[in-house]
Order: sequence, then structure tokens, then C-alpha cells
Amino acid sequence: MATKILMEALSPTMEEGRLVEWKKKEGDPVAVGEILAEVETDKAVMDLQARAAGVLLKQVIVPGTTVPVGNLVGVIGTAGEDISAVVGGSSPPSKPPAAKAAAVPPAAATPQPAPATSGTPVPGGRLKASPLARKIAADRGVDLAGVSGSGPEGRIVARDLEGAAASPTASPAPRSTLRAGSGEPFRDVPLTQLRKTIAKRLAQSIGPIPTFYLTTEVDMERVAEARQALAASDLKISFNDIVVKAVALALRQHPGCNAWWQDDRIRYWNEVHVSMAVAIEDGLITPVIRHADLKSLREIGAESRDLAARARDRRLTPEEYTGGTFSVSNLGMFDIDQFTAVINPPEAGILAVGSVTPKPVAEGDRVVVRRRMRVTLSCDHRVIDGATGAAFLRTLKQMLENPLAMLA
Amino acid sequence: MTAARLLIADLGRVPYAAAHRLQHALRERRIAGSLASDVMLLLEHEATVTLGRGTRASSLPVPTDELARRGITIAEVERGGDVTWHGPGQLVGYPILDLSRHREDLHWYLRQVEEVLIGTLADLGITAGRNPGYTGVWTRGRKIASIGVHVRHWVTTHGFALNVSNDTSGFDLIVPCGIQDVEMTSVQRELAGAVGTELPQRAIAAVTRNMGRVFGLTPSPVELAELLPDHQDSPEVVATFRNGRAI
Repeated sequence: MATKILMEALSPTMEEGRLVEWKKKEGDPVAVGEILAEVETDKAVMDLQARAAGVLLKQVIVPGTTVPVGNLVGVIGTAGEDISAVVGGSSPPSKPPAAKAAAVPPAAATPQPAPATSGTPVPGGRLKASPLARKIAADRGVDLAGVSGSGPEGRIVARDLEGAAASPTASPAPRSTLRAGSGEPFRDVPLTQLRKTIAKRLAQSIGPIPTFYLTTEVDMERVAEARQALAASDLKISFNDIVVKAVALALRQHPGCNAWWQDDRIRYWNEVHVSMAVAIEDGLITPVIRHADLKSLREIGAESRDLAARARDRRLTPEEYTGGTFSVSNLGMFDIDQFTAVINPPEAGILAVGSVTPKPVAEGDRVVVRRRMRVTLSCDHRVIDGATGAAFLRTLKQMLENPLAMLA
Repeated sequence: MTAARLLIADLGRVPYAAAHRLQHALRERRIAGSLASDVMLLLEHEATVTLGRGTRASSLPVPTDELARRGITIAEVERGGDVTWHGPGQLVGYPILDLSRHREDLHWYLRQVEEVLIGTLADLGITAGRNPGYTGVWTRGRKIASIGVHVRHWVTTHGFALNVSNDTSGFDLIVPCGIQDVEMTSVQRELAGAVGTELPQRAIAAVTRNMGRVFGLTPSPVELAELLPDHQDSPEVVATFRNGRAI
């Protein structure tokens, strides 16, 4: 008679648990009280013990998976027993289909279009490796798929990486010369218990996207001077082009703000694609300047004018207005001093840019008139915390106040 | 009825691996029943970065080779939580408690350990509290103590690390607890230097008193030899801790 192994409540207040590691393989004999797996809730790890003797017939969930208390995680029975009635017809695979780390999804052939709102968590696709082994592999550029593990159940541990060399085939060929830095276009991070608790509580408090706003005022004197100098050499650059470029560069330094909320995970993008809100007749649309961090001001200027013109003519293709990683909305041309913009999901942040206006500013003990611009960052608090958003804004402000820094 | 005893072993500075083995030996004795009382080990570690079960790659931004070059040991451990740092000046407490004699509830246990640390800090003149959703103890927006536990057969291992007089720059090498932009602080920093040389001893006394208060136990100092009377039990551990000190 098969016995279900269920996610146990290790506390009356525990709603779900993360299965950290299986301690028994499928086919292993188990005795009552033996340790089957480790389960994590908050900062505590506890063993999951066998309630019945027999053979571990099936690991229903893979390590790293979080399931609600009471959910089926495995089955104990007698060898050869038919357990299809217990696990149901369409149980997720118990073994990763292939050695592929969840943290390193294959590069998409084209930038990801706007995602479906909910995705089922990837059930398999997790290579068994300890966190330290993953770290060492990442540091050395070793593809874990090519490493055989000596830990329990073939888990790759640090010692398996001794002498392992970086594999030249580990990362796919870059798809464009514009690709920056290392490898993959993004990095999926499954939600931790902490991140889930934050998300739940904040969403309860404020709505489906718990948004907060951070405003800062930027001195635009030097940007204005730079713009004049460029205009003298017949290069027409708008304030908005410079803001887009600075935002893209600041996002590179603050990947925590360059992310998508994905319901069960946060997708931190390694690429920067800036969505630009454009008003069109009876609505608005957000064409995307892809790889904005890698483009020159001239390229950004030309591209944004082209995209905006075609947006107004409704001649954009879906690829051109989806897949942004962060948005910029500028109402400065309407003489709006400051406003808050609504987040464009699944993106986690949008910057609302006000007009560049001469204002009296205290400089030491004198009052001087300087051209100033107010920007307000709307943050999805499930992804971006206050300090994270503030650090991004500080970098953005520094770049705009010293535009030469953008050349560095 | 008098309260059950809590045996307190003050071990001084102990390498991480040795303390880890000792905890396991004590846990097995507690599960088997040959250790009749709850125990708390108090100690400090050499500079060590430990990776809990919740560790994400992004929590350890410094290459492992660089940590090794700076003489920092890296250890993967079975406790819950993400990465943390231990080192001289930080008071580490490992309660080996049988929760079946208290309450079989992991969240309750985490909150009780927080209560011990909040009481300890109050005794030292610091107002500290919880940060809902972030296990650990915080003061004025900064984290002053970390918690990560493991439980087997309802017997606890691992525990807490209270920054007493350590330089918190050790945490700069990691993303403590996986929380980006968290700022760590210490008792010494919060008291702005208004501390005597006896601070470590006062911290040990306060944590001992508060463990007793919160868990309803009577603290009782003990030598390590009393905890491991049978050398056959775990000869390796006994050898490491000969004379009650790690060698």
C-alpha cells in the first residue's frame, strides 16, 4: 500500500515549505523515522522523516521547489507497486529532464516578447549542485552540466570542481555584436520565502502591484551645456535621449531595478531594453530602445524619433513595443514639473521625467538660478526595495549632473 | 518544580569545522537521550563565510579564491537562510534544545531566539526589534544579529550570531542573508565607543540570562568534558576540544 509523503507543517503558522534536498533516492529502502529530505521555512531547516517503511518509489518534486503544506512531495510503497493512482496521471517529472541549471536558461533567439501573466514553475531543469559548487563554477566559467557529482545522489559539490577548467562551449554564441558582458540575456531567481512574504504582505496592503515612489531633483546645467555643444556640431540630441542613455547606464549598475516580476520568480535582466512611453491619438504605446546602454546618444536619438513617429502612425510591429526591461515616461514637453507614472508590468520600475525648469537653488549661502529637472521612480515593491530604488536614482542623478561620467 | 537546566559551555575562539562537529555530536547525544539537558555553546569563530541552504549565487559576489586569499574559510552548512559571515568579536550561540520539551514549532523557536537577542541588547543598552519577514534582530534599520537554525527530531543546532565588537566590514564581502543593501552594525558601534573592555563578558552574561528567561530554563555553566563524558562517543570531537578549548 503506497503512502503519500506530504509537505509537513513545521509550525502552525507555516503555509508552505521549500524542499531543499532529497536524502533518499528513488528505489532506496526507508525505515520509519528515517530522514527523507530537508525542508526550509524562513531561516530554519528541518528534516522530513518517513512515516512509513518501504521503498521511496517517487520523488514528486525536485529540490528547490516550494509547495504548500499538505501537498504531495513523494511516495513510499513496495518495490514495483503501481502508484499512478497516488501521484495522478500527469505528475511532474521526478528527475530533471536534462542536466541544465535553472539559473541559466537557454538564450532566447530573439528578445523575449511580453510574457504571459502567469507561468508554471519549471518543474525539472535543476542540476543538483551545492551553492558553493555553483559559485565556484560561475567564478571559473565551468559548465556544471559537464561535471560529475560525488555528493549524495550525484550532487555536485565543491571538490568535484577541483581541476575543472572553463569549458569554451559553456555559453552560446552571442547573437549580436551589441551583446554586453557575459552570456545570458537574463537570470531567473526563484522567489525565496522572504521575497514571497514581502510580496504577499505588500500586495495585500496596496493592490496587485504594490507601488511606491521616489523623487529627486537633478541639476541639468551640465547636460544643457553638453546638448548645446553637440548642437553646435549639428548633432540634435534631446534631453530625453540623454535621460534614456543615463537610465540605461544606471540600470547596468543597479540590476535590481532592471527586472521583471514573474509571479514565482524575479527575472533580473542582464540586458537593458528601455521602454519609452509615447502618447498617440487616444492612447499611449511604449516602443522599446533595445540595448540602450550600448548605444550612442546619436543612435538613441535617431531610434527614438523613428519609433515615436511610427508609433503615432501605428506602424510599429509587436516586437518593437514589447520586451522592455524598464520604462521612461517624459511629460516635460507638457510643462509638467513632476508626476508619478504607472508601472508597465512585468517591468518593475518606471521613471517619470518632468520639465527642465530654471529654479532658485541654494549654493552655499547664495541663491542661484539653475536649470533643474524632477524625476520620480515608481517601484514595484515586490521587486525593488526603497534602498535599491534610491541607490539607482543616486547613480542616475550623478550621471546627469556630470554627463562626462557617462563616457567612462 | 524547579526549571530544567540549560548547560552553558563558554568555549572561546573555535574553528568553524570543530564547532560544527561538536554540535552534531551533542545533537546525537540529545536525540539518543544520553544528554539529559538542553545546552548552549557560546563561542566566536575565526573569519568564516558560511552558506546556508537558502544561499543564492548572487549572495557571494566575491570570488571564492579571493576569500581564500584573505584567509577566510568558506563552509557550506545545513542551517536555513542565506550566506553570513562569522569572525572574532562576534558572539555566536548554538543552542542544542529539544523542542519536543518546549514547543514543536519552528517559527515559535525563531521568534524566541529573536526575543533572547532583543532582551540581551536591552541589557546592553540598545533598543532593538524584529523586522517582519526578515528573521534576525535589527536596530535603527541596521541588522545587528543573524539567526539560522537546523532541526532534526526536534533537536536544534546552529543558532545566532550577535555582532558585539567585530568590525562589520567582513559582511561587505557578501550579501548578508541575501538581502541587498542591508547594513550591518554591532553593539560597539551602536554604543558609539562608550564601552569598556568587559563588553564581551557582559554580552555573554546577558545572552545567558535571557536564554534562561525566554526558554524557562536555569542556566548552569559547564565544562565541555561534562558534555562529552564518553570519549568513545566522539573521539574526534573530544580530541579537538581537549581541556575545553579548541586547539
